[in-house]
Amino acid sequence: MTHDRNNPDRSLAAEFALGVLAGDDLRRAQELVRTDPAFRLEVARWAGRLAPMLDDIEPVVPPGGAWGRIDRSVGELPGGSNVVQLRRRMQQWRGIAAAMTALAACLAIVLVATVERQVQPPAAIQRPSGPPMVAMLGDQGQMKVVASWDPAARQLVLAVAGDMPNDPRHSRELWVIPAGGKPRSLGTMADRKQMHVRLADALAQLLQQGATIAISVEPRGGSPTGAPTGPVVASGALSQA
Amino acid sequence: MDRPPELQANSASKELLDLLSAVSRGDRTAFAELYRRTSAKLYGICLRLLGSEAEAQDLLQEVYVLVWQKAGRFDPNKASAITWLAVLTRNKAIDRLRRPRIGREGIEAAADVEDDSPSAFDIIREQDDSARLGRCLDELDERARIAIRAAFLDGDTYPQLAEREGVPLGTMKSWIRRGLARLRGCLER
Repeated sequence: MTHDRNNPDRSLAAEFALGVLAGDDLRRAQELVRTDPAFRLEVARWAGRLAPMLDDIEPVVPPGGAWGRIDRSVGELPGGSNVVQLRRRMQQWRGIAAAMTALAACLAIVLVATVERQVQPPAAIQRPSGPPMVAMLGDQGQMKVVASWDPAARQLVLAVAGDMPNDPRHSRELWVIPAGGKPRSLGTMADRKQMHVRLADALAQLLQQGATIAISVEPRGGSPTGAPTGPVVASGALSQA
Repeated sequence: MDRPPELQANSASKELLDLLSAVSRGDRTAFAELYRRTSAKLYGICLRLLGSEAEAQDLLQEVYVLVWQKAGRFDPNKASAITWLAVLTRNKAIDRLRRPRIGREGIEAAADVEDDSPSAFDIIREQDDSARLGRCLDELDERARIAIRAAFLDGDTYPQLAEREGVPLGTMKSWIRRGLARLRGCLER
């Protein structure tokens, strides 16, 4: 007989999947589920082993009103788990982006401090349209995009890391969304790893600190309406480089 | 023309898998069809574990909303769609059964239970042979078999089972632990 005296957690995983635990043992198992992948795997295996018992329960047709309530509550939610997962991944990516931006800011301070000691620039000369900015854009696949904006040259450079999806029926369209404003198209992206766009003054003014750069999937050639019509697959806020 | 039952079961299971995968892309029509095909089974589980129709309907709604939001967490390599849905429903019913004990165990315990219960979605079926569990359960002592079934299908905890059977808590724990260890031995043979 294989008693689990030597492996109490393995026994605990079985007991947790069976649902018999209470009090401190239950809390310990819940903690292990969160922190110990091996424990969680063993719980999942036990859930599978015990699952056939559920076949013994007689099906019961739910009352007619049940579907209506479910349909209505789902109608108010964003559809599909991909959206939720996308958001979670983008939050992670934003965390990384924030760290990189902070690092870039530190480097910039060091650089500026060094340069200022060497040459004193005339106080009057200042770039009229503000400092360069970057936005980190992550999407749900492997593609990551770094957008850097040079206001003086009115040039936006996009560098794509990872796989560019090869999709002949759709275009990826680039947008700027000013804080509190509507999306304005910056054009569609070529299927290349780098993209340079020189922007007209009217558009260039919109690329300010806090504005969002986003990429949406549109019919080939770009949105027919002038506003995004397809899903936004990547976005990120502009901040000072 | 009638196909062998096995093939019918396989194709029904493939259809459910396709429906679930369409739901994960936000397909409302697929969601309605998934409900039509699975709600009687899931509602049966809700009723069995919770007892009250109002609670069962409330749980049914919670489960389908979860399915709508998290269908992407289903992994067809690990379990069939119907097993995943049934165990998810059962796990959520257990969460609910543990919730009313706020008064007894304090607010912190309630907060633990309210947590996303990450393992509720994890189910790995290593064998497709559903009849085998029944055969292995039959090999156990009657006491262990009854206790394990009551725990899984009625949601009873160790203290509740011990009270119901009129035995000390330690005795009930040792029946079930030994039963589970033998069960695994039998299933892995």
